[in-house]
Amino acid sequence: MATLTITDKERFLINQEGQDFSHEAKTFIKIRELALKNLKDIDFPTNKMEDWKYTNLKDVGKTEFRPQSATNIIKEKVESYKIKNVDAYVLVFVNGFFESDFSNVVEDKDGDFIITNLNNAKKKFIKLVEPHLGFQTRAKNQFFVNLNSAFSQDGAFVYVKSKAQLDKPVHVINLVDGDLVAAYPRNLIVAEKFSEAQIVVTYETIESSSALSNVINEVFVAEGAHVSLDKIQNENLNTFHVGADFAVQGKDSVFSINTIPVRAKLIRNNLSIVLDGPNSEANLNGAICLNGNIHVDNQTFVDHAKPNCQSNELYKTVVNDKSTAIFNGKIYVNKIAQKTNAFQSNANILLSADAKVNSKPQLEIYADDVKCSHGCTIGQFDDEALFYLRARGIKESTAQKVLLDAFIGEVLNKIKNVAVREYADKLITENFNSKA
Amino acid sequence: MLKIESLEAEIDGKKILNGLNLEVKAGEIHAIMGPNGSGKSTLASVLAGREEYEVTGGSVDFDGKDLLDLAPEERAGEGVFLAFQYPVEIPGVSNINFIKTAVNEVREYRGLPNLETKEFMSLLKEKQKLVELSGKLANRSVNEGFSGGEKKRNEIFQMAMLNPKLGVLDETDSGLDIDALRIVASGVNELKSKENAFVVITHYQRLLDYIVPDFVHVLYDGRIVKTGTKELALELEERGYDWIIKEIKEKTL
Repeated sequence: MATLTITDKERFLINQEGQDFSHEAKTFIKIRELALKNLKDIDFPTNKMEDWKYTNLKDVGKTEFRPQSATNIIKEKVESYKIKNVDAYVLVFVNGFFESDFSNVVEDKDGDFIITNLNNAKKKFIKLVEPHLGFQTRAKNQFFVNLNSAFSQDGAFVYVKSKAQLDKPVHVINLVDGDLVAAYPRNLIVAEKFSEAQIVVTYETIESSSALSNVINEVFVAEGAHVSLDKIQNENLNTFHVGADFAVQGKDSVFSINTIPVRAKLIRNNLSIVLDGPNSEANLNGAICLNGNIHVDNQTFVDHAKPNCQSNELYKTVVNDKSTAIFNGKIYVNKIAQKTNAFQSNANILLSADAKVNSKPQLEIYADDVKCSHGCTIGQFDDEALFYLRARGIKESTAQKVLLDAFIGEVLNKIKNVAVREYADKLITENFNSKA
Repeated sequence: MLKIESLEAEIDGKKILNGLNLEVKAGEIHAIMGPNGSGKSTLASVLAGREEYEVTGGSVDFDGKDLLDLAPEERAGEGVFLAFQYPVEIPGVSNINFIKTAVNEVREYRGLPNLETKEFMSLLKEKQKLVELSGKLANRSVNEGFSGGEKKRNEIFQMAMLNPKLGVLDETDSGLDIDALRIVASGVNELKSKENAFVVITHYQRLLDYIVPDFVHVLYDGRIVKTGTKELALELEERGYDWIIKEIKEKTL
């Protein structure tokens, strides 16, 4: 009799099973089946893979994470994750599952927009969901993208009609509660032609001794539409967070994403933007302030597929203690994408001898009439500036704080909603001042 | 107020100050002139506490305190102000927040409560007016994108806000047109009182037409080699430094 051996990956995948998706429409079941098939063929990421060189997820594969719903969710607790002074449509998900009691659903068919959970939209608005869901996540080779596609419990669905405008931002609150939780929230945002939407997505932990958040944001920005997405990651130090954001943009559209990874044990973000219509603009910014042993890996990919497009990328990092930050930013300029303007900047400040930064900017250009630049700096605080502040009577510790705020402030100022910006700033300050 | 005795300082192992003596009393204005490389800016940097300079000998007494023992921010708290030759640009820090932080930290050092916003704003307006600094610059990042003249006026503005006992002006006049020079100088003249003093480091006699010094010192080879009154500055303007250098060399021979 042959010995039965089971790999970590197989056991991990078996642990994710057990959710019943049979009630879903065939078209959506197909997405899950395809993802499951892909998962069989892909290896669990290891450091041997170029894309995973600096981020080790071995422990994730060895941990018995499982999808599980939370019980006894306390209203006051959930309320505390709302952002002060932000009047928003709020959708709450705990462990990937929708919490309708705490959410504001807008699903008037004749209205300007629909804000609901994806599972509901899959039933009620199948024609709006079908052309978009999974469209950008078909890549066969990404383990965690396929993992979410196969096992996603639920997520936000935001649809804005042509020429319509969301009258307030949508705030999607993703919470994790419980031990060994595997949460797969997945948001789908569709902005039709000339529409406007502002989305804020936050990830936080109620209580957990160990969790995996594997998240996806899939965004469609049609011709002339303007969409902004602020993504704030503030889970506890027992959490592995692996996220992927996808956006595809039509002609004359603008998409801005601000990524603020504040806290977790480990955060990996894969951001992919396709400028698929001429004269479209993408803005991608990241503010990363780390201490303790936090490990954050940001991978960005901007595909200039059409001419006359612009991308502006600014990622700023401050690492202290034994924390690690990785930046891998790729800009790809297609042969036909003439008159491309692509700017990328990654600036890093190291505050301790044990903190680490790996930065890898990459430009791949096949058009000949383009303006592209990338810059990467790794350093310490500007001594001249520090002395100038001290010479005016400002204590060294205050002076450092002033310079830190200024350095990261350049990125935080890209967040247009002041209350959201202040919230991000507050989380960063609290975390950075805490002894992790 | 300030008593410098036999001060010696070096940078990267190179000796710049070589036994410098200088005494400044309250109510006085001292001008320090000298050829390039004589140690003028080093003196300013050492007084302000720039860490790249190592003091290898001598002492600096400031109102009974050992100035060399204090951190840069403590010197500012005690009342020493250096107007930088090259004011630093600090992107992302607004001028107004910067000066507010500075004023309150200095007040804290002196055991005074923070200024109320209303008091701060009226002080700000008064001092901006003094150096004809546009209110628009208040919300811009510190010195970022400022013209040369705006940067120097910003230095004098900061000095006015912090109200030091001793103001050290390091070539504040360099690169200024006559209008800017006049504004900077009248700012200093307005601040001048019986209780405070100024050390004005300059290349050019021109500034001393506007800020009239009680003493003019010639710095050469890290020491003060000649002291006179404002007439000395005029003579230096006319004859340069060579005759003084010659005098010294003859003396040492």
